[in-house]
Amino acid sequence: MTLRTPHRRHRRGTDRRPRLALTVTALFFLLLYLPIAVVVLFSFNGQKSLTVLKGFSLRWYSAFFHDSVLLESLGMSLRVSLVAMAGSVVLGVALALGLVRCRTRLGSLAGLIMLVPLITPEIVTGVAAMLLFKGMDITLSSGTVMLAEITFSISYVTVILRSRIAALNPEVEEAAMDLGATRWQALRLVTLPALLPSILASAVLVFALVFDDFVLAYFTTGVDPQPLSVRIYSAIRFGVQPTINAVGTLMLAGSVGLVGLALAIPRLFGRRGGLDLLSGK
Amino acid sequence: MAQRTPSGALRDRRGRSASGTRLWTWLMLPGTLWMTGFLIASLILVATLALGTTDPLGNPRFGFNFANIAAMADPAYRIVLLRSLGFALIACAVCLVVAYPVAYTIALHGGRFKNLLIAAIVVPFFANYLVRMYGWSVVLSDGGPVLRALRAVGLADAHTKILQSGTGVVAGLVYGFIVFMIIPLYAALERMDLSLIEAGRDLYGGPLRTFFFVTLPATRQGAAAGAVLVFLPAMGDFVSAQLMGGPDQIMIGNLIQDKFFQGQNWPLGSALTMLMMAVLFIGMLGYLRRTRKDEAEAAR
Repeated sequence: MTLRTPHRRHRRGTDRRPRLALTVTALFFLLLYLPIAVVVLFSFNGQKSLTVLKGFSLRWYSAFFHDSVLLESLGMSLRVSLVAMAGSVVLGVALALGLVRCRTRLGSLAGLIMLVPLITPEIVTGVAAMLLFKGMDITLSSGTVMLAEITFSISYVTVILRSRIAALNPEVEEAAMDLGATRWQALRLVTLPALLPSILASAVLVFALVFDDFVLAYFTTGVDPQPLSVRIYSAIRFGVQPTINAVGTLMLAGSVGLVGLALAIPRLFGRRGGLDLLSGK
Repeated sequence: MAQRTPSGALRDRRGRSASGTRLWTWLMLPGTLWMTGFLIASLILVATLALGTTDPLGNPRFGFNFANIAAMADPAYRIVLLRSLGFALIACAVCLVVAYPVAYTIALHGGRFKNLLIAAIVVPFFANYLVRMYGWSVVLSDGGPVLRALRAVGLADAHTKILQSGTGVVAGLVYGFIVFMIIPLYAALERMDLSLIEAGRDLYGGPLRTFFFVTLPATRQGAAAGAVLVFLPAMGDFVSAQLMGGPDQIMIGNLIQDKFFQGQNWPLGSALTMLMMAVLFIGMLGYLRRTRKDEAEAAR
């Protein structure tokens, strides 16, 4: 706004802060963080109570680290997330490269297939995956969770990478080829390094998403061990143990840390635009 | 114009793009095959099993039987479906009413804290859904801070409950999915030409008039996208109804879950899943028609 008319109505109109909107925003942030604060606070509660806060103790954390069932679940969740991250990043990056560069009918079909998980409620993909495994007589286990999570995460990786690849200047690749590189060499030595921040960011994000995922894991897991989020689900359904507050706090800290890392990666690489999460474009 | 490159390959512009196409196709293939094998095939399986039956032992059998589809006419299912639709739509409306001022404040008055504030909204959304829901249910419980505050200002009496009621379920859905409304609205408000607002003011529109006749129409695509993004997961959710509602507030997701785990009637569960997908598909079609109309108007 460089031009400013000495118009009273105008001045009042543009400069006034929208008090109602500000109040709603403040209330929204309060309610957004209150539940998280409650979980964190009660994880340090000295009492078993979930309503009265009294004393500070780490007993629920120590209870978690002595609970072999929960620890086993933690291990399984970590394994599943790692495998799903590796698998979906490899498949997703390749798919994204193909989708952006390949303008054939197969390309547009692949683009449509990739969107399916994003417009299908998770319960449907969960039910479908479970039926597929049961139909093929595959016993549900950590392996089936991994397969289902990879399927789901490919879309995330592809969506994140697609916009970054489209933003790359294809002439750089062409220049590499004019200098004698094969297309494959150009891809490996020029394009992939340029995409590295986005690839890392999407990998970290997929890890966090898979680790926290509940619905898909719930439908595709076997009996023993079960992913941590499935254990939490049964725990909060059948009478709450305060240990869950401690586990929940650790998981909150973990995913917040990972998402923070994913957002920070482009900056660590000294350039902008690794994840388009925030711009919404 | 063909030329020999140091690597010895014969290339010209057309040859280059042809070999490229082959590479891109090969890159695309594994992911596409994977998605087709695991996702599309499994979705087809659900659709097929909806026509199946269960044998006396309770095992699912494929068939060509419309009993499960006919069962969808059962009033009990209709009530649950309508309730789910109602909850999801109310949750969308509440999300819109709450998210709009939030997105507006951040986009137009956030200044240099814009990105920080949006990150503060997005990051907790990535935290475990169940843990957040559980914390939310503690906050909304009868002795919790929200009801105590409402009672203190006289907006609630001693009998008012949030949990174990439809309000609780909607509150759960809103808390779970409101970020899907804020992000597209924020993006739309960010993109919006702010001089439009000034123009509205110059034409002697009051703040409210300008808002309803300028700002809101300019961002309605963001609102529509947000509504779809909230509606989809809200319809399929079963955690909110389980933790925040009672047995009287179950949604279609709870029915599906029940048919697959407790009831062990997979064909019926599949039919319910297809019913839900049909409702969502109609919603999506409406959205697509709306946006296409908007685009056509914008092009004119």
